[in-house]
Amino acid sequence: MAVFDLALCTLILLAALAAVAGPGLFRAVVFFVVYGVLIALAWVRLGAPDVALAEAAIGAGLTGVLLLGAVGRLSRAGADEPLTSRIDWPVALAAGLVGAMLVWAVLSLAPGPGLAPAVAEILPQTGVENPVTAVLLNLRAWDTLLESVVLLAALIGLWPLARGGAWQAAAGPVHHALPDGVLAGFGRLLPPVALLVGVYLVWAGAYQPGGAFQGGTVLAAAGVLCVMAGLVRAPGMAAPLWRLALVAGPGLFLALGVAGMAFGGFLLFPTALAKGMILAIEMVLTLSIAVTLALMVLGPPEGGGAQ
Amino acid sequence: MSTWLAVLAVGLLGSLAAALWRVWHGPGQADRMMAAQLVGTAGVGLLLILWAMGERAALDVALVLALLAALAAVGFVKASSVDGAGDPEEEAPDPSMIKGRRHDP
Repeated sequence: MAVFDLALCTLILLAALAAVAGPGLFRAVVFFVVYGVLIALAWVRLGAPDVALAEAAIGAGLTGVLLLGAVGRLSRAGADEPLTSRIDWPVALAAGLVGAMLVWAVLSLAPGPGLAPAVAEILPQTGVENPVTAVLLNLRAWDTLLESVVLLAALIGLWPLARGGAWQAAAGPVHHALPDGVLAGFGRLLPPVALLVGVYLVWAGAYQPGGAFQGGTVLAAAGVLCVMAGLVRAPGMAAPLWRLALVAGPGLFLALGVAGMAFGGFLLFPTALAKGMILAIEMVLTLSIAVTLALMVLGPPEGGGAQ
Repeated sequence: MSTWLAVLAVGLLGSLAAALWRVWHGPGQADRMMAAQLVGTAGVGLLLILWAMGERAALDVALVLALLAALAAVGFVKASSVDGAGDPEEEAPDPSMIKGRRHDP
């Protein structure tokens, strides 16, 4: 498999180089999508299927839709001139410096098992069997809590861009498609499967790779597809229920974290209750992540009435 | 067995590399996008081979990739429509009018 790994590394470097240095915005975006698939493969080869799942869902999936939409918008606005091939030296210098620091960091890694034995030792007390979920939702719950808040903040940052300040209107443009066309048919076929896979990923996350972010992304994809196929109207923030869906995940996480103070400290989950608490957080957080990501991909409201 | 799987994996990676060549050369936007879809398909195939070689979780990654790689195609179709929210099928009875056929600058 050494040949395979070397070839994969070469393709990753080529795709990255083509995305960054190649001419044409559209080509760069397609190379970025391809790069996501290749990186997902690399993560599997490195034995990190959790990261591979996230990369496949976000890098090759949702980000691709977002960037392709952006290129389409630029081209409609007549702003998609070919990129100049002039090298921006300050940027190149900064990127080169960060790159050199990363290489130095990788080379100076001490060989050894890292933190894996320490996590394995404490795993029975965390309430879950997947070490990655244990780290994300118990041992380093702080990180995950803040990440979920960052996601929410990013969506709120989109709202000021709403057309006419109507941030409560339905997200994105009004999508339409040929009623019996390929797109509408695809929109009926894929979401049920995506729903099943998304729920499966969250449930399986307790004992094998998967979890709220991966499952939430797949669920978001299902929602985005339903809206893009013109089958349902995107939700608007005028409905309190949708706003609740956005804050429920981070809110419950925070509430249970505060409840943990009764057992010794903020975000400390007692072993006996940890499994139930983590599962509850994961499920509600999945919902919030799915709605937040879907609304971000659909974009700020562009008029066309609420709901 | 495992040697054959490795040979198969390298072969699939070769077809993936050919798709990269097509993404680079185009010439149409649709050509590049279809090549990206081929990369997604080859990626699913490769993950299945990695699963057969003992990488247990590769199957779930393949499932997610198969589901979401198609989403980029939907994004492309949307972006190719006149208002960015439509469907080229509903607006262009003549397929040569579909903007995806246009060549990049």
